[in-house]
Amino acid sequence: MSSTTPLASLDLTPAPADAPRVGPLRRLVGLARANALLLTRNRMTLSYALLLPLLPLTFLLAGDRGDTTAGTTAMSSVLMLGALFPVFYNLLSLVVTRRDELVLKRLRTGEARDGEILLSMALPGVVAFVLISAVATVALLALGQPAPANPVVAIAAVLLGAAAFAGLAFWTAAWTRNAEAAQLTSMPVILIAVVGNLRAVFPERLQPFVDLTPGAALDALARAGWFGQDVEGAELSFAETFTTAAEPLLVLAAWTALAVWLTLRTMRWEPRA
Amino acid sequence: MTTTPTPATTPGEAAVRSTPTSDDPSDNAITVRGLVRRYGRGADAFEAVRGLDLDVRRGSVTALLGTNGAGKTSTLEVVEGLARATEGEVRVLGLDPVRDRAEVRRRTGVLLQSSGFSGDLTVVETARMWHSTLSAPRPVDEALGMLDLAGRADVKVRSLSGGERRRLDLACTLMGRPELVLLDEPTTGLDPESRREVWRLVRGLRSAGATVVITTHYLDEAEALADRLEIMHAGRIVRSGTAGEIAAGHPSTITFDRLERALPDLPGGQVDPSSYGEPRTVLHTVDLQVTLTALLDWARTEGIRLDALDARTASLESVFLAIADGASTTGTPAATDLPKGA
Repeated sequence: MSSTTPLASLDLTPAPADAPRVGPLRRLVGLARANALLLTRNRMTLSYALLLPLLPLTFLLAGDRGDTTAGTTAMSSVLMLGALFPVFYNLLSLVVTRRDELVLKRLRTGEARDGEILLSMALPGVVAFVLISAVATVALLALGQPAPANPVVAIAAVLLGAAAFAGLAFWTAAWTRNAEAAQLTSMPVILIAVVGNLRAVFPERLQPFVDLTPGAALDALARAGWFGQDVEGAELSFAETFTTAAEPLLVLAAWTALAVWLTLRTMRWEPRA
Repeated sequence: MTTTPTPATTPGEAAVRSTPTSDDPSDNAITVRGLVRRYGRGADAFEAVRGLDLDVRRGSVTALLGTNGAGKTSTLEVVEGLARATEGEVRVLGLDPVRDRAEVRRRTGVLLQSSGFSGDLTVVETARMWHSTLSAPRPVDEALGMLDLAGRADVKVRSLSGGERRRLDLACTLMGRPELVLLDEPTTGLDPESRREVWRLVRGLRSAGATVVITTHYLDEAEALADRLEIMHAGRIVRSGTAGEIAAGHPSTITFDRLERALPDLPGGQVDPSSYGEPRTVLHTVDLQVTLTALLDWARTEGIRLDALDARTASLESVFLAIADGASTTGTPAATDLPKGA
């Protein structure tokens, strides 16, 4: 070993105690970059994260060009799958795997703060979700669907949806024993996501409860933000898209807050003994 | 002290370096008072650390020794700020390792007992990631070169040998130019050459003014590197000092093949009762020279040959083994059953 680097030439002097501290952004980007690399290393995960959520768009190829009923269903499904795969499931398995590998514990011995470590794991999936939403929006246009009725609502839907499902991934990870167990522990969140697309199937008196799920909120926002419709399919004015979107946006914000609170209380940084 | 064994690699140095524990906290890189660490609650509660006091002087190398389950890692995790103390006070560089985490971490390098890296990243990707989190890092290439990993830069961590992975871990630990370095079993799993290289790094750190705390199973490693040894047993520090100081006061041992006749009274010497009827006779003595001289005089007068004669002063190893057996310690409560998994 000594042949490559003679120790005498090494300066092991400690850094001065008052050396400037590294900024949080540099840490966050450095960690997120490594997590993004990890995502690309696994072809299976990568295709689930990037391609699967775009599959619903293929339904538009089969139906009548410009049929907004098919359009709303497709966009609603893209948002649901985008929130579920790159954001939720990918993050859940990333947290659990890295905890098992003791990576999280190792990172916590360094300068990165807990929040930065968590955020850096969520970022690649969130960026993928944003890209998927952008690609889907362009694809809708190309397939004869209208341009987003309210881009502000559309952007808020993607960002808050990402936050809510990332938070739910951390909370689920907190009580998931290992990567295999994630296949089962992911079910509750998958259910409250999928239920949004099945809203119409439920009896009317149950629908207000269904509306409180993050899945139903994403569905309502897909309709309001992209197609200017409410959940019953009624046309909305531009101003009405804001008021209609307010409730589902609040629902997503509440799920985010709940997930963050639960995560702070239950997060585990190393495998169970 | 002439019969005190001196460390093989740094003769005499350890004894000279030894400094008594100071009460002035500003001289200490680490001060621990009355540390208790308890896992679980109620009937299942288990105390891994049971009232531990520790002072680590700035610029020194301290070795924390102990059997598995003695509480070494449980103690280090509190010092590292990864776990909270159940009771007691811990100051690291004069700061609280949990509350002042950001400031403490910037000046501390930690090596955990088990390495934690993603198998799918390469060595250089892992090092770059770690580099991005540090305030005053040395360049990635330099850090990898320090541990002879430059040639393995593009290899996935998954494909590294255990020793290489450990060296990558150590490269990250030292990348931030820490003034306090906490190494939990740094050389476990390393080949002898890499192990020596780690020793040289630890000595280099000490010469450069850094403080090092190292836990190890290897007594020779502790003797060779440390200014001060802290021997833990059942959640407490039971002996402290240089290797010589720790062995001093423990009886020396003379052994030889059993004779077919009775021994005379030997000044200072006493036959270990457990060796009665055994193939080897074991004598313990507080004054090896006097007892050995008397034994040899007697043997010459009687014309007796003492086969496979062996005489040795108490070594760190013999004291350590005695402690591990729960037998000998000064001023230590009777050892209870060894806790597991802490």
